[in-house]
Amino acid sequence: MGFSVSGSAAIIFAAMFIGFGMFYTATSNGFEQVTDAQQDQTDRELTRQNTAMSIHSATWDTQTSTLTVVANNTGATALSLPEIDLLVDNVYISEYTTSVEGDATTDLWVPGESVTITVDSLDAAPTQVKLVTGPAVADTEAVN
Amino acid sequence: MASVSVSHMIIFIASIVVAAGVAGVFTDSVGQLSEAVSEQGGDIASDVRSDVEIISDSGSGAVYNATEERIRLHVKNTGSERLPPEADQIDVFVDGRYEVDVQATLLGGGDRWAPGEVVRLDITEALSPGDHRVKIIVNSDEEVFEFRS
Repeated sequence: MGFSVSGSAAIIFAAMFIGFGMFYTATSNGFEQVTDAQQDQTDRELTRQNTAMSIHSATWDTQTSTLTVVANNTGATALSLPEIDLLVDNVYISEYTTSVEGDATTDLWVPGESVTITVDSLDAAPTQVKLVTGPAVADTEAVN
Repeated sequence: MASVSVSHMIIFIASIVVAAGVAGVFTDSVGQLSEAVSEQGGDIASDVRSDVEIISDSGSGAVYNATEERIRLHVKNTGSERLPPEADQIDVFVDGRYEVDVQATLLGGGDRWAPGEVVRLDITEALSPGDHRVKIIVNSDEEVFEFRS
């Protein structure tokens, strides 16, 4: 009788030990994933709060059919030029050239600098442009 | 005397078998529960990482095309999760009505909507002149866009 009780108790305890191990691993992994995601979200929000940008001018040259947008980085975050989006009259423009303070090769738009975006694929004079940065901080301007 | 040993042996084997059965069911249940908890953790993490913004210009007056009866929105992935750019993974409501006729085009091509990329949504819906509201839901992230047609 004594062996029966202690033997089955040992098996039950071993099963509880294994079960706790499995459950602990699963909850700890899940918790870690969620914590990582929340930290990532906080970082993104911090970047968004530190991002500020304003369009200085948007001009349409009727002679050359060229739209030129000049914008200033007035925030504290270095922005990436491949991540910016330009909408002209709600049409997404994918072909344009950029130049940061005269440098057309750089992809970085650091605080204090101004970027000149030139679009020459438009047929008619546009009325409004919207520039969106990587963290989705945006500005709109009427075209002169 | 021998009969006592045999009966003890039978009781011992029976108790071990019952204990093993209970242990098996217990570990199996805990295993399934752990799998579900782990999956839920992954889902919550994915929801937290997902963030989109509607970047269309509501001031341009060109969001709604009355001739084609089409609303065109541009949605940017501002999170850190790669999202599916398929229209059936994006829930769209226009003025509170669920829209089925939605086309999603990933600008720049590709089959995954990476962070920083933009998806164009074309929603076919006839709108009366006035104020309208579009709500999109991607991976539990909700965005509202208001415009005038």
